[in-house]
Amino acid sequence: MNIVVCAKAVPSSTEVKMDPQTNTIVRDGRAAVVNPFDATALELALRIKKMRAQKGDPTTVTVLSMGIPATQDLLRDCIARGADGALLLSDRAFAGADTLATTHALFCGLRKIGDVGLVLCGKMAVDGDTAQIGPELAGALDVPCVADVGELVRVDEERIAAWHATDEGRELVEVGLPAVLTISKDAASLRMPSIEGVLHAEQAHIAVMTAADAGVDVSRIGLAGSPTQVVRSFVPERAVEACEISGTVGEQATRVAALIEEAMR
Amino acid sequence: MVALIPMDTEHEAYLRDESRSTGSADSISFPRDEAEIVAVLQRIREAAGDGAPAPVTVQGARTGLAAGAVPGGGHVMNLSRANRYLGLRVDEDGVYCLRVQPGVVLAELRRHLADKSLPVHGWSSDDLRALERMYAGPEQFFPTDPTETSACLGGMAACNASGARSFRYGPMRPHIRGMRVVLADGDVIALRRGEVRACGRRLRLQTESGRKLDLSLPTYDMPQAKNASGYYIADDMDAIDLFIGSDGTLGIISELELALSPVPAFTWGVSCFLADERAACEVTEAVRASISDTTAIEYFDADALDILRRQRALGAAFSALPPLADAWSCCVYVELSCAERERALSDLALLGKILVAHGGSVADTWVARTDTDRETLRFFRHAVPESVNMLIDERRRTDPAITKLGSDMSVPDGRLHDVIALYRSTLADAGLESAAWGHIGDNHLHVNILPRSMEDYAAGKRLFARWAAEVSRMGGAVSAEHGVGKLKRDFLATMYGEEHVREMAQLKRQLDPWCQLGQGNLFDVELARGGDRA
Repeated sequence: MNIVVCAKAVPSSTEVKMDPQTNTIVRDGRAAVVNPFDATALELALRIKKMRAQKGDPTTVTVLSMGIPATQDLLRDCIARGADGALLLSDRAFAGADTLATTHALFCGLRKIGDVGLVLCGKMAVDGDTAQIGPELAGALDVPCVADVGELVRVDEERIAAWHATDEGRELVEVGLPAVLTISKDAASLRMPSIEGVLHAEQAHIAVMTAADAGVDVSRIGLAGSPTQVVRSFVPERAVEACEISGTVGEQATRVAALIEEAMR
Repeated sequence: MVALIPMDTEHEAYLRDESRSTGSADSISFPRDEAEIVAVLQRIREAAGDGAPAPVTVQGARTGLAAGAVPGGGHVMNLSRANRYLGLRVDEDGVYCLRVQPGVVLAELRRHLADKSLPVHGWSSDDLRALERMYAGPEQFFPTDPTETSACLGGMAACNASGARSFRYGPMRPHIRGMRVVLADGDVIALRRGEVRACGRRLRLQTESGRKLDLSLPTYDMPQAKNASGYYIADDMDAIDLFIGSDGTLGIISELELALSPVPAFTWGVSCFLADERAACEVTEAVRASISDTTAIEYFDADALDILRRQRALGAAFSALPPLADAWSCCVYVELSCAERERALSDLALLGKILVAHGGSVADTWVARTDTDRETLRFFRHAVPESVNMLIDERRRTDPAITKLGSDMSVPDGRLHDVIALYRSTLADAGLESAAWGHIGDNHLHVNILPRSMEDYAAGKRLFARWAAEVSRMGGAVSAEHGVGKLKRDFLATMYGEEHVREMAQLKRQLDPWCQLGQGNLFDVELARGGDRA
């Protein structure tokens, strides 16, 4: 079985700072990381691979990404942790893509990898927060999608069963393969690489494809292929008031109680 | 004006520190700056009239493990509110030197440096220019890294704290460029590294009021091992080194100037799992000899890993830890820091070869190269002592008197195998349960005895006394990083001999004639006052 994990490079900082003048994210110059949700998806893929290997069923795990050339370093890190290979879609023509345009590019990448039995995506990316890529990809592939998976129960050649979150709680579902699953961040923690893995990954070949290599429809990628229009972005205003509470412990407790009561009103 | 608050139930927490010892005091104050420190001392002197002024125990964040901040009566001076950042300069070598008050907390300092958000209220235009230059250049950090990041800088200087990275960077000492010290009589000494040196074992100091002090320094030699036991003494020593690691007994640190360092471009942490302790020692020695980019070498023994496995299986907080294979008996953690990726890779390959040469495997390793992975390894390393504390807390339910006994001894290079053999044979003979971890790169392990009963506890205390004697004979130190405080003062005489401890007490009396500061730290009160008890 070929499993493909879709991974996005995101800013490493979890504390996003906005420029109040331009309303854009202030990049702190720190290295990008694999989106934490995608990292969890990779761990689940590696667990499926191990589980299947114990039964003698061969599995390959390929990581697919669309990004700048430097994303190769992150894909190499995924190989260090156990992925078998990686494909990077990298071309200026992909720049400015919304989720639909990204989906088309990833769809073409999946087609190039070929014979994909299972696609695992992080539920969402920490910088975009849309949670749209997985379901859109399932739509493009015309296969079932299970969103927000917290636990895998069973995987065989034909079917996969998993618990996923719903508005009411969680639900156990089973779907036929191929399928797309989007993975919750808490489902697992991505394993660390070993020295063996790191040194092996340094020698590994990362396939890089341009838009033309991937055979995309150029009208469906990048900014031109993105129907989403950002009219305005802004940082919501927050009113924060601080006050110092002094006095005896009893007086302070009374004051805190009054503040809580005021806030609850 | 700073208040001298009578000790009450609201301030009971200030009678304790992380050593879990409890003391007593009559009053407490929270000075915010040097002037307030001086004012508190003056009021205590005035209150005493012609008699001896009340003892003063100085506290920071109370994270110490040797009870140095636990008061033995008198007044508690807590400096946690003296926590301002005072200014920045660049020295002639391009090193950024940051002036802080003693109550600045390490975790906050780190955060401000990483986020480039140092509070600059009251800074001069020169300070701000230096800050602008620093922010425009490579990211800076403060290298001393004790496990407890809620420690404050004043406390860290008072006990010459270190941590895992002291293997590369040393303890606090080399990173302190300047210091202001308030003496017990309220006079102030300003010290800047390199400006005042002893002549042999005589040290002449001048206070800001113009008073001249001619100090006779003790005659002992320091061990050639990581050391935080007693006063730092050496021929022609820098005056500032006398006050670093003096356990709050010579003066009150009111200001520190810290030398910052550029953050290495690549820092990779590698946990290497091995099948036996001998291999761990050999790997340590080989790494020490051949990988110059090593910043830390840490160790976790089989008992520590087993405790961690059990806590992980119980779930809750530690369930997030990566699984530990049953075949892994112990772990050597090696941290590599350098400027180029290619070099980091070649260091990693060399580490792999060392492991294989000593029966290990490159597959049985965790390599942390991202913040997330580094945080996982940090969590793993901290989970070990926390798991042990949880185990002890569980035992205290049946016998509340039981406490953990943690050693802090170091030996010189070449004696690592000997000291571990000593620990193993004596623990086995005594039938005691233990778990060991710590800074194996500095030949400095924390061997923790985990008593199941008060008999075990008493046997553990006897064993510690024996280890102190044996380690001293090996040329080691009875306290390598926690300081002596009140808990390890008996070992100080074992290490240096009673005559040399008396010399330390004499030195103290030259600066603090009433033996007012840090009473009970390093030596018994009687000895400090010139009596005979060590």
